[in-house]
Amino acid sequence: MRKLVLAGGLAMAMAGLATTPGLAQEPVTLTYLTSQGWSLDAHQALAEKFKQETGITIDTQIVPADQYASVLKAKLNSGEGPDIFGSQSGGTEFLNYNVEKTAVDLSGEAWAKLEDPLVAAQATVNGKLYGLTFWDSLGLVWVVNYSKPIFAKYGLTVPKTYEDLKGTCKTLLDNGIQPIFEPFSNGWHHVLWFAEVGPRYEQVKPGLAAQLNANKATFAGNETMRANLTEFKELYDLGCMGPNALSDSWADNTKMLGTGAAAMVVAPLAFPMAVKRDYPDFNPDDVGFFVMPLSDNQILNVNPAGPTMLIYQNSPHIAEAKKYFDFLTRPENIQFFLDNAPEALTMPFPNVKDKFSPAQKAFMEAYKDNRGTVYQTAVTYVVPQWMDMGKDMTALVTEAMSPDDVLDSIDKRRAELAAAARDPAWK
Amino acid sequence: MSSSRYPVYFVLPAVALYVIFFIIPSISGIAYSFTDWSSYSDEINYIGWQNFQKIFSPSERYLTYIWNTLVFTGLTIVLKTVFGLGLALLLNEGVRRFVNLYRVLIYLPAILPTLVVALIFRSILNPATGLLNNILRFVGLDALALRWLVDPHIAMLSVVAVDTWKGIGYIMVILLAGLQTIPRDYYEAAQIDGAGAWSRFRYITLPLLMPAIMVVTVLNVLYGLRVFDIVYALTNGGPGYATEVISTEIFKAFSKGQYGLGTAVSSILFVILLVAGYFVIRLLERDRNKEGAS
Repeated sequence: MRKLVLAGGLAMAMAGLATTPGLAQEPVTLTYLTSQGWSLDAHQALAEKFKQETGITIDTQIVPADQYASVLKAKLNSGEGPDIFGSQSGGTEFLNYNVEKTAVDLSGEAWAKLEDPLVAAQATVNGKLYGLTFWDSLGLVWVVNYSKPIFAKYGLTVPKTYEDLKGTCKTLLDNGIQPIFEPFSNGWHHVLWFAEVGPRYEQVKPGLAAQLNANKATFAGNETMRANLTEFKELYDLGCMGPNALSDSWADNTKMLGTGAAAMVVAPLAFPMAVKRDYPDFNPDDVGFFVMPLSDNQILNVNPAGPTMLIYQNSPHIAEAKKYFDFLTRPENIQFFLDNAPEALTMPFPNVKDKFSPAQKAFMEAYKDNRGTVYQTAVTYVVPQWMDMGKDMTALVTEAMSPDDVLDSIDKRRAELAAAARDPAWK
Repeated sequence: MSSSRYPVYFVLPAVALYVIFFIIPSISGIAYSFTDWSSYSDEINYIGWQNFQKIFSPSERYLTYIWNTLVFTGLTIVLKTVFGLGLALLLNEGVRRFVNLYRVLIYLPAILPTLVVALIFRSILNPATGLLNNILRFVGLDALALRWLVDPHIAMLSVVAVDTWKGIGYIMVILLAGLQTIPRDYYEAAQIDGAGAWSRFRYITLPLLMPAIMVVTVLNVLYGLRVFDIVYALTNGGPGYATEVISTEIFKAFSKGQYGLGTAVSSILFVILLVAGYFVIRLLERDRNKEGAS
């Protein structure tokens, strides 16, 4: 009896504690799982600002890019997803994470009506918006950033064909300069040379993306794609990507151009500002741009998709996560992000003051009527296999696969993903 | 059974737990390997041997992954046992001072998290900036400064070397315990009879240490066939697919949502483990029977 009374007292005391103001509400922490490179310093600064304003902590967990999809999928599949998770927008990546079952429908949020429709469309599945693309998807085009002083010193001009690029590389190699910084170790960057050249494949064979999506064409046997991979390998074999390309890391990107260790880097248009952030003496105007000229490409690659934040459907803190998205999309915070993220030039929201330099503006203007959508966005089932394509392309340069093997491999994985997704085009 | 002290039903709770948590999941895992179960659809259809046909198809790389796993297992068994035994002998007889300190130092890598070990070695083995290549270049051995983890021809050997470094202390401790059970009288008697160091090792140490060697072999076989973390953290199966093993592929299949395929690869690993386990146990039994007979 005495024990019973004690237990009852204890229970009442605990119940009392639970209702006492101040003790009842635990400070909320939102876990945010994201891939390396998708959470910039400006994102972190805004998360800190949000914490000061609301007391809600954003616990950003950054996973190496080559492991991100596996880790996130494992968490989602085990029912233990983070409160917020990152994903590239674009239909097939969202399909990969089964967002209709794992993410919260955000179509009704106030900011959803303000987001650029082209960008929002990439985060929309069956008419429902599932993510906030708090990222410069419109100004962020991946092009070759080159050092104007190095090019001027050796009398080099902007390469317009693959042969031009090869000649440029040979001249630089002869003068002891690493032509291109190409980090393979992260597993994703070198795939850009293939997928971002998509508009060229489309130019050579109009309607190819639509045919691929309808399962009426394949990557295998496409001469332009084969040429792209063959040229990519040749550049590697010639030493254009440096002796340690396979172990080089994207984390060193600003160092390579900032210190003049390499003459070219495939990076976003805003890259010179990122170099200046890390190397204050660096002059961003010393950087010029050109499109990746593999397969003689001369079309600007644009990608309205980008890293996007989604709220996990089973999160106990959906309201808080929505509050965070509301906070981020306030005009002053969008501008804060733009002003503090050297990587961003504009944002997909109205009334922002963009940061395009005259050179960047001129570059974009030059390609105003000559642009196309990159293949990871234009073609289904490419993004979910991005890291596998990275492995294929590493196997290509290490002689373990041929260009035809790589293209076959892409088709095979597309068929697997389509079959798993019960895609009617593959039936 | 009639002479047993406890009634049979005493064993039922244990059997029930074992069946529920081990037997049923294992059997259902094998059953799922005959389906197209995936994260993209709620429908699960029976597809016969399709997953296995895919795995054993020459146009796929799964056979290479199985081969890589066997190579990893074989090499780590030999290296860990040979070096572990060498160190155990040294600490048992050769070294006189600071023996416990050396034991702790050699055992230390075994208690370090694999991820930490992998990150450290990724840095040490970096071909451009890594400690190992810098030392080699400093002493003029530039030709030996290789691309350890990114050259497909040697990447697997590098992974094996790192895993051996990490696991050797554990093996050494087991063998050291085995060595310490061998009575000193045998060695003294052999020495009086004129036996040299090699003969004493060959005819006294090795036979008496065999049970401990069998234990470490079983442990190494099971560990090697199921290896995942060190490969995943060091190379993630790369460069290309050069160091991909069965478990990394299972993880990738599951993380891609291809559960049916993932369970099929798991089932194959299960069969390999079963066969390996059967032969090792047979070997152990034979050893015991021999001992019993003598």
